[in-house]
Amino acid sequence: MVLRTSRVLAVLVATAVVSMTAACGGDEPAAAVDPEGDVKLTFVAYGGVGQDAMIKHYQEPYTKAHPNVTFTNTSPPDVAQVKAQVESGAVLWDVVATAPAAATQNCGTLFEPLDFSGVDKSNLAEGTIGKCYIGNFINASPFAYRTEAFPDPSKAPKTIKDFFDVQNFPGQRGILTNLQNGILEYPLLADGVAPDALYPLDVDRSLKKLNTIRKVTTFAPNVGALQQAVGSKQVDMFLLADARLVPLMDEGADITVVWDVTVASINCFAVPKGSPKKVAAERFLSTVVSPEAVAGISEALGTAPVNLAAKPNLSENAKKVEVYGDANTGKTVLQDVQWYADNFNEVTAKLTNWLAG
Amino acid sequence: MPGLLRRLRPRPQWLLLVPALTLLAWILLVPLGNSFLRSVGNGDWTLRHYESLFTDGVTMRVLVRTALTAAAVTVIAFLLGYPYAYLMTRVGPRMRGVLLIIVLIPFWTSVMARNYAWIVILQRNGPVHSFFELFGLDVVLYGTVAGVTVAMSQVLLPFMVLPLFSALSGIDRRLLLAARGLGSHPLVAFWKIYWPLSRAGVVAGLILVFTLSLGFYVTPALLGSPQQSLVAQLLGQRTTLLLDFSGAGALGMLVLVVTLVLVAWANRLGGTISAIGVVAAARTKDQP
Repeated sequence: MVLRTSRVLAVLVATAVVSMTAACGGDEPAAAVDPEGDVKLTFVAYGGVGQDAMIKHYQEPYTKAHPNVTFTNTSPPDVAQVKAQVESGAVLWDVVATAPAAATQNCGTLFEPLDFSGVDKSNLAEGTIGKCYIGNFINASPFAYRTEAFPDPSKAPKTIKDFFDVQNFPGQRGILTNLQNGILEYPLLADGVAPDALYPLDVDRSLKKLNTIRKVTTFAPNVGALQQAVGSKQVDMFLLADARLVPLMDEGADITVVWDVTVASINCFAVPKGSPKKVAAERFLSTVVSPEAVAGISEALGTAPVNLAAKPNLSENAKKVEVYGDANTGKTVLQDVQWYADNFNEVTAKLTNWLAG
Repeated sequence: MPGLLRRLRPRPQWLLLVPALTLLAWILLVPLGNSFLRSVGNGDWTLRHYESLFTDGVTMRVLVRTALTAAAVTVIAFLLGYPYAYLMTRVGPRMRGVLLIIVLIPFWTSVMARNYAWIVILQRNGPVHSFFELFGLDVVLYGTVAGVTVAMSQVLLPFMVLPLFSALSGIDRRLLLAARGLGSHPLVAFWKIYWPLSRAGVVAGLILVFTLSLGFYVTPALLGSPQQSLVAQLLGQRTTLLLDFSGAGALGMLVLVVTLVLVAWANRLGGTISAIGVVAAARTKDQP
């Protein structure tokens, strides 16, 4: 019996060794693909209506103007997947939706530096173009509440301070744990930090302020979970992304947005390091900030366009959450990409420890 | 290699293993070896990543929480599963089929459907919350470890019931009759005769449920909260958010070692390395 087992082991090890040696052979970089020839770009975004809108407003017009360029769509755009592809030398993705901080943090290592010198920047929001990314829309996560939780308008929350005032404004809070949705900015704003003096963020002070509402707060790991919690009345006030407030209101949820100070962040595209179709991807990405294209995305998602010349034709509900529209009577803070890129790992670790503690 | 092959020739049945082993080598051993190499610094040979598991202030807490949750799930599954499996051995074949189907339904239902159903049941104003409100209690299990434990117990119940049923149905009940005939109280007869004979199944069930609980991802991710995350969520975050493949590898290795030690220990307790085989046998033998 012992003998047999050892033989099986021997075969197993032999097979493993052979497989491993074979697996290590694929590190040659793929040859660059001629951008003038037939190119099929693999486009990776978050799926759903967002990606459908990108197909319609980015890809289809581009293929019409450049018939040699077509697209394959897939999702989700996991940066870990990009890392795995780059490290194994088998880069299959050409255009990846990501956060500007992630693209900047991994600029040159996981993502290609990109040249957008030909893009008209006169109407672009600040920070739309970075060394390794180009923005395509702006996501805001305004402070909002379910109107029926505060039926008397005179006793309803008016400022972000009220979100952290458990005594005068009881009720369950909902916060996203993603850094892009302002989990660290809002506590500081409520604690009296001026909107233009937020960065560098005082993370410890922010977490200390979060402690005061910890017991009455649902921390949601993703937008879908918080959207579900609002829709099923699990939370009364929340910091939820605009693109998720619109469908909730479309389904009949009565939501009031508190326009005091609103935290917004840019969403962007980047090109994985070593993509053989880099040049074609770069040329395509130069077109994604055109006013017509970004207006189409805003109409579909209820997000703000990065190109301020865009004139999206928004629905009634989308207008209510339009961070750069007439509805917003307060201030807006756009997240500091460079600060997040420089501090991402440290901040994520701190937040994780606080959440798990 | 030729020597090895020649020695294998007299026993050609070993060749039957080659396809499975090749597949296993590719999809299990290579990635596992890769993870291990990364966890020790990818050629730098450092234990830094293992060290930080113990010093970062969060990993150990999450690991202990995961182990306690897994233990609670295992106990609940056992308390529910043992009487259930016992009953299965005492009823007629038709009723046994029905009982088996009931326990297997979670197997056949989509993971997502099951977990979303639990969200509806456990959330604020859901049936569980309303039930506790009858007694003036404000209990919301959604987003808590308790809620995750309840849901995991349901999902993992078959892994307890099937090996138990397989072990219990092999016990010769005439031994109990003999004990009674010699003047033993039924409870004593159970404790001295039936329970020891069922121990192999018990250990198999306990180990299966416990080790599966340790690695559960979807249920805690959907029903729990980031504040009470379990080890799989921590692993996911380390990989997808921090891109810390080395740290994730070290954590994965630690969990793997803990699991293997447990399985080895259980194997000595009750000869149960074939626990999974027992389940498979129970399923094929008794499926109606």
